[in-house]
Amino acid sequence: MIQLFKMAFRDLGRNRRRSFFSALAVGMGLAMLLLLASFIKGEYGAAIESSIRLQSGHLQVRAKSYDESKTSLKWEDLIENPDQVAAQIASLNPVQVATPRLFASGFVSTGNESAGVRIFGIDPLSEANAPYREGLVSGDFLTPDDREGVLIGRRLADNLGLSVGDQINLSVNTSNGDVDEQPFTVRGIYSTQTGGFDGITVFLPLAKAQAITQAENRASTIFVLLKDSAQTDAVVSALQGPNYQVLTWAKMNELIVQTEDLASGYMSIFYLIVLGITATVIINTLIMSVFERTREIGVLSALGMKGRRIMAMFLAESSLLAVGGIILGLILGGLVVAYFTKYGFFIGNFGVTGILIGDTIYTRLTLKDTVTLTIMAFVVTLLAGLYPAMMASRMEPVEALRAEK
Amino acid sequence: MSLYLRLAWRNIWRHSRRTLIIVLAMALGLALMMFYDGLVAGFNQAIYGNAIKVLGGNIQVHAVGYRSEASQTPLLPLNDDGAVVKAALAQPQVVAATRRITTGGLASSREGAFAVGITGIEPEKELEVNLAEQHVVAGRNLTADDGDMIFIGKGLADAMGVQVGDRITLTGRSKHEQMRRRTMTVVGIYDLGMADIEKRTIYVSLSEAQSLYDLTGQSTEVAIALKQLGQEAAVIAALRPGLPGYEIESFEANYPELQSALATKGGVMNIFSIVILMIAGIGILNLLLMAVYERTREIGVLGALGLKPRQISFLFILEGTMIGLVGVAVGIVLGLVINGILMQVGLDYSAFSGVTSYMALITGRVYPSWGVDKLLMRALTVAIISALAAVIPAREAAQREPAEALHYV
Repeated sequence: MIQLFKMAFRDLGRNRRRSFFSALAVGMGLAMLLLLASFIKGEYGAAIESSIRLQSGHLQVRAKSYDESKTSLKWEDLIENPDQVAAQIASLNPVQVATPRLFASGFVSTGNESAGVRIFGIDPLSEANAPYREGLVSGDFLTPDDREGVLIGRRLADNLGLSVGDQINLSVNTSNGDVDEQPFTVRGIYSTQTGGFDGITVFLPLAKAQAITQAENRASTIFVLLKDSAQTDAVVSALQGPNYQVLTWAKMNELIVQTEDLASGYMSIFYLIVLGITATVIINTLIMSVFERTREIGVLSALGMKGRRIMAMFLAESSLLAVGGIILGLILGGLVVAYFTKYGFFIGNFGVTGILIGDTIYTRLTLKDTVTLTIMAFVVTLLAGLYPAMMASRMEPVEALRAEK
Repeated sequence: MSLYLRLAWRNIWRHSRRTLIIVLAMALGLALMMFYDGLVAGFNQAIYGNAIKVLGGNIQVHAVGYRSEASQTPLLPLNDDGAVVKAALAQPQVVAATRRITTGGLASSREGAFAVGITGIEPEKELEVNLAEQHVVAGRNLTADDGDMIFIGKGLADAMGVQVGDRITLTGRSKHEQMRRRTMTVVGIYDLGMADIEKRTIYVSLSEAQSLYDLTGQSTEVAIALKQLGQEAAVIAALRPGLPGYEIESFEANYPELQSALATKGGVMNIFSIVILMIAGIGILNLLLMAVYERTREIGVLGALGLKPRQISFLFILEGTMIGLVGVAVGIVLGLVINGILMQVGLDYSAFSGVTSYMALITGRVYPSWGVDKLLMRALTVAIISALAAVIPAREAAQREPAEALHYV
């Protein structure tokens, strides 16, 4: 066995340049697959994380009849005494933070311009709102008893030409199906680097949101973050009750998972084609070396080497090529991925509002992807070596010996 | 020249198996690009076909300053909308040119509230080109003198729990900053099969919009519908000189994100396809290196017969390019087969209508096109990479000394 690999290694060394280029083909293919896989993981992994951080949380507890697509404010669709409910949930061990939020639809107007927005009434003191507070680009964060201030996203501020201290008119739907309009002052401007969120989300302190919507002491949801997302199911069963519905982050982010599946589906077609092309390069190189060595193969078999062993020798060559290619690919791919993991890939505004995709995508290479793709590259290269190896093993010794050099 | 071509052509088929394998690699690369191009084109068609119908026309005319604030739908009245309509109708490709007022607002009922786009239309004049008016499922169409009447989509009606005859509140702003609130009666419901679009598009009559927004006798947009997709540029070019002081744009300007998404993805795809072709190019490189080695004597003979080194290397580059071009031919067949099958089957995108505003315009399945619009550029890329792959072997061949090469056994 070891002898076989030694021979294979020497044979590859006879035409170093050709062997190097063949391995390079495998390496380039593998590097590209690694980049693609890490890009998809980065894009959608980040989308789920931003969604959990910014809008879905790990869990949300809502009134049984609450329908998210309607942002209903009817009293029967809301949770009463939300602070109490939130405190109860927060007392569970795996829960990191639980805070009430009130959602409403609204309409910001200033001068000749206007934009539809969604309104989040939040408890400004809750640590669940840290992502917004940390994303503050100018002005101040809200305080619980602020009655005139709003926090708006940078994209919305840019669209409407607003800066801190400006007046806006905000129309908000109310619990009795009416619309109320009030003037507000832009207290602060935040950015989450996610245009789809910043462009449409306006924050009010919970108390003010409850007042303007006439929801009184009610909230749309209790937003829950866990210490560890693996504990989601355990907490869900603990919270199950007749009055509430409990939504998990997986359920709320279904669209992201679906989109990722679709993207991965397309990518696997891509993978196959890249590997197919790599395979043809390997097949060709090995076929040529079989032809070059026809006489040699004749000598070997005349000396008593069995067809199987000759085949094994060529397979050993292709596996050495594969290993060399994989090493090259891991180095090449690793460098490219490392670059994009650090500096990101700027995609700008794709108009994506349904899922939260940041304006820059940072690639993420998982161990699982690396191992799977490496094995795929190895197997494909080995399979590519099968045909030339079979050709070599089937040569008739006498004819092969007579073959012209 | 024709001698070289003949020589190269014969040479590449001397070992037909190995040539065919590399041809296959190149063909796969090209077919992949055609698949992508076809998908993008099919995607555009699916979106644009509906976009025109939802927007009420292939071309929109606005007052200057509108586009830079388009996301806020500013109420900027046109100077002389009558003149715009007249100029547009004078063009032979134009089917209809109608006046509109577009703005944003909040539609609310007891069930909830929704940010919507409000469009004031001339219902009778638009009937022929307005998709919503052609798909009334309950109640009736708007008429020009309907006041306090509203025409909404099924998606919105379902979400708000309203039916024909029910009343909903519409809040918007007027030209002079203060909010206008009006309770309106649902006169009809349309169904386009695009719930997300229906949720944000409601119609009122132009006269109602004029009184609602203090724009008596004015409009903010002229929508021009053409006979065919693709005539936009010609009509815009014809209209511009006669209509200074207006922003005349094709419907695509309404979806700037779609353009930038496609541009970025197209750029990434170009880079990937070059990498893929480079991998296939290594195949050509190895093949020609082998050929140089095999034909050492032959090269010596050519040299002895007086062929300059430059001419010998040209022969090899020609061979590389030729393999690439055969790859192009096979790739085109392969790509057409793949796209042809997908054109029959279609791809289901309906689950993703919520992702972006343009995805919401896709009804049902997306059918790719043949993917041949960029074929020339793609084929050129293949040819160039194939030629470059032949450079190293060609140099090698040219450097042989005739006398030595002849002695080679």
